Amino acid sequence: MSTGGPAFSAADLSKYGLGRGARPMLAREADSVYWMARYVERAEHIARLLRIKLNLLADTGDLEDELLEWLWRVVPRVFRLPDGAGGLAAGPVETLGARVVSFMTFDPANSNSLFCCLTQARENARGVRETISAEMWEELNSIYWSIRADDARQRFDESPDAFLNSVVSASMLFQGLTDQTIRHDQRWQFTQLGKYIERIDFTCRVVSLHWQILTQAEDLLDLPLQNIHWMGLLRSCCSIEAYRKSQLAEIDGLRVVSYLTLEESFPRSVRYAVRGAANAIAAVREESDARKADAVQRILGRLDAQLEYAELSELVAEGVPQYLARIESEVSSVALALQRGYFLH
Amino acid sequence: MFTQYQMDGLFDEMFERPDSPRQHYADVHKRLESLGKAEFAKRVRMADLTFRNQGITFTVYSDQAGVEKIFPFDLIPRIVPDREWQTIEKGLSQRITALNLFCQDIYHKQKILRDRVIPPELIYGAKMFRREMIGVKVPKDIYMHICGTDLVRDHRGEYLVLEDNGRTPSGVSYVLENRAIMKRVFPAIFADYRVRAIEDYPYNLLRTLKHVAPPHADDPVVAVLTPGIYNSAYFEHSFLARQMGVELVEGRDLIVENAFVYMRTTSGLRRIDVLYRRVDDDFLDPLAFRPDSMLGVAGLMNAYRIGNVTLVNAVGTGVCDDKAIYPYVPDMIKYYLGQDAILANVPTYICARPDDRKYTLENLNKLVVKATNESGGYGMLMGHQSTQAERDDFAAKIRDDPRNFIAQPVVELSQHPSYIQDPGDKIGGATLGHFEGRRVDLRPYILYGDKATVMPGGLTRVALRKGSLVVNSSQGGGSKDTWVLEEEENQS
Repeated sequence: MSTGGPAFSAADLSKYGLGRGARPMLAREADSVYWMARYVERAEHIARLLRIKLNLLADTGDLEDELLEWLWRVVPRVFRLPDGAGGLAAGPVETLGARVVSFMTFDPANSNSLFCCLTQARENARGVRETISAEMWEELNSIYWSIRADDARQRFDESPDAFLNSVVSASMLFQGLTDQTIRHDQRWQFTQLGKYIERIDFTCRVVSLHWQILTQAEDLLDLPLQNIHWMGLLRSCCSIEAYRKSQLAEIDGLRVVSYLTLEESFPRSVRYAVRGAANAIAAVREESDARKADAVQRILGRLDAQLEYAELSELVAEGVPQYLARIESEVSSVALALQRGYFLH
Repeated sequence: MFTQYQMDGLFDEMFERPDSPRQHYADVHKRLESLGKAEFAKRVRMADLTFRNQGITFTVYSDQAGVEKIFPFDLIPRIVPDREWQTIEKGLSQRITALNLFCQDIYHKQKILRDRVIPPELIYGAKMFRREMIGVKVPKDIYMHICGTDLVRDHRGEYLVLEDNGRTPSGVSYVLENRAIMKRVFPAIFADYRVRAIEDYPYNLLRTLKHVAPPHADDPVVAVLTPGIYNSAYFEHSFLARQMGVELVEGRDLIVENAFVYMRTTSGLRRIDVLYRRVDDDFLDPLAFRPDSMLGVAGLMNAYRIGNVTLVNAVGTGVCDDKAIYPYVPDMIKYYLGQDAILANVPTYICARPDDRKYTLENLNKLVVKATNESGGYGMLMGHQSTQAERDDFAAKIRDDPRNFIAQPVVELSQHPSYIQDPGDKIGGATLGHFEGRRVDLRPYILYGDKATVMPGGLTRVALRKGSLVVNSSQGGGSKDTWVLEEEENQS
């Protein structure tokens, strides 16, 4: 008996193609979404790091000049900018903070300023406007125009904290939209790769540089002040609350480093991000029916296993900066292999 | 806001007489009057912000500083009643049908030339006539799948065809975005009317593209070919690809192997069957056309001629855009369809003809002179607004290369109220303004697949400079949402 609705034959239904294979992805598209995600992630790191430093250092008149200088110079160093860049080499220590902030926010000559990162993120997005969702595009476009606006510096000066926070929020919102408004096919996997690779690199750098400063400066800092800076590091990695919950509120340098490096299930740790990247490339390989693991998959798989079975004692024995530098170099090989295997036509 | 509105003796789309709006504008007029300056200014600002945040922009070639610009959007809608639209729709369908028959004919038997309806030298002298296409069979004999025909209204309100854009007409994305923003900014005004929907355009476009897929493609792969993000219409290319759910490709994404076209993907090469190309003929294939082109793909023309890939629009349709061939469209309609043209042309003097040339040179101050192969408002002389030096310059150019010029009497385009801001008069972040008449035209979009489909509406372009007759976006034009109303018996 008829149910009153339109009748569909099996042949009709097959046309709807629910089981249709994945859409192929242009190599250029993969390149662009990967960099789009990397630059958004980088902008978030820059904004968060500056925000923490401003809160922590702007008024600390009683810090030794030497230490104050180190703690500000960390910011460009995390992003591999030479100390002399942007006229930061010379000048009084008291104004170093302001100069670093200006260099890292609005300086169009600094390819790692917020301004340039957001511009790059948007340029990449613009080239694949049809790949990403309207919501993602609008969010990225709004933050781009907000930092390009005539009154951007004025708004920054009124409240650096609010301004930087708007960049962090925009990145978070963008990532949420990325997860919720596009299909989780290759396109999405390449955004995940970009995000996690950027995060691994940042986290290794920021942890390693702070470890070097704070362990060497023990005689310049009393214990409460040391703890404040370790907490600052956790905040720079958006990890303070998660850390507290798992470490019973005890702040200690090695614990912080171990948490940010080896924690299994917190998205800001190196280990978690490596797993994320490894999963993403595996999904890309699966979608394109590849049988053998390629260079990207091999390096990430190895790194993933290494971190999964890592002992804290290994990390200490090798030395924190050395251990993290090795991960950094593996990640740069991944980036190169991606370039060779997927983006270059 | 209409208090100082001037009609200046022109045909006004909204007003029959000052203070007396035409019947189909009465509701809009009432709403606008009651809205107040501050409220209207607020809505304008809201629309501008939406355009900017959505990145609905175009690029002006001559503008070095601001690469991306918002296409100025004029919030007052242009309304076309159903009875007027029916004529336009019939006229445009008739026109695109004849133009397709014409293309098929001139690239094959050339009967229309042999019967001396059109002088052969005009066709062979046309820059956009592609000898490479002679004898090439295109799927379903369709050449012009998409056409944007520019209509103007003269001082009596009669619709005239100003030109056909049969290569890669742009602007349809603005039509769709204007409508979306209009609904957001003026939901109440929109609800007063029964406006015909245009939102199915991308779906119809995709159907049109699939209709001409090569026969070997069961489930054809369609892609939009763009010159890239620095092209002035890049927003539109990406918009259409997104709306149709197809790939947007650049020349560097493509490769031709064994006369098939492939795109390079993360997992190797994938075949493309239909290319909606937004790249001009000249740049499509460095082997066939300009060897210095970086935008196209080597070997594409060969794949196309064999029939392994379909290009939309076909190569060679530019001959219909030639302004010296345009005057013959009514003759084509008569010749191929045995009908009289429903929409009239603007009278045109073809400078290649001695009599026309003489008249043109003697009356430059009363005529609009246009280069036959330019578009976008470039290469024009507006005689009545020109200086003697400009006229002398054009006279020399015409004598030098008469085939390259036509002249038309100045059409006093109809005007429509536009929102004009008063700089310095601000409330909050919004700039206050008032309404003034500005000249408009209308570009409807026609798709030609199994039949001709005219999108109900189109791009109403506005010459935002006072007194200007040039509506092109590259020359400071803006646009309006265009409302075609449902049939009158359905009108509440």
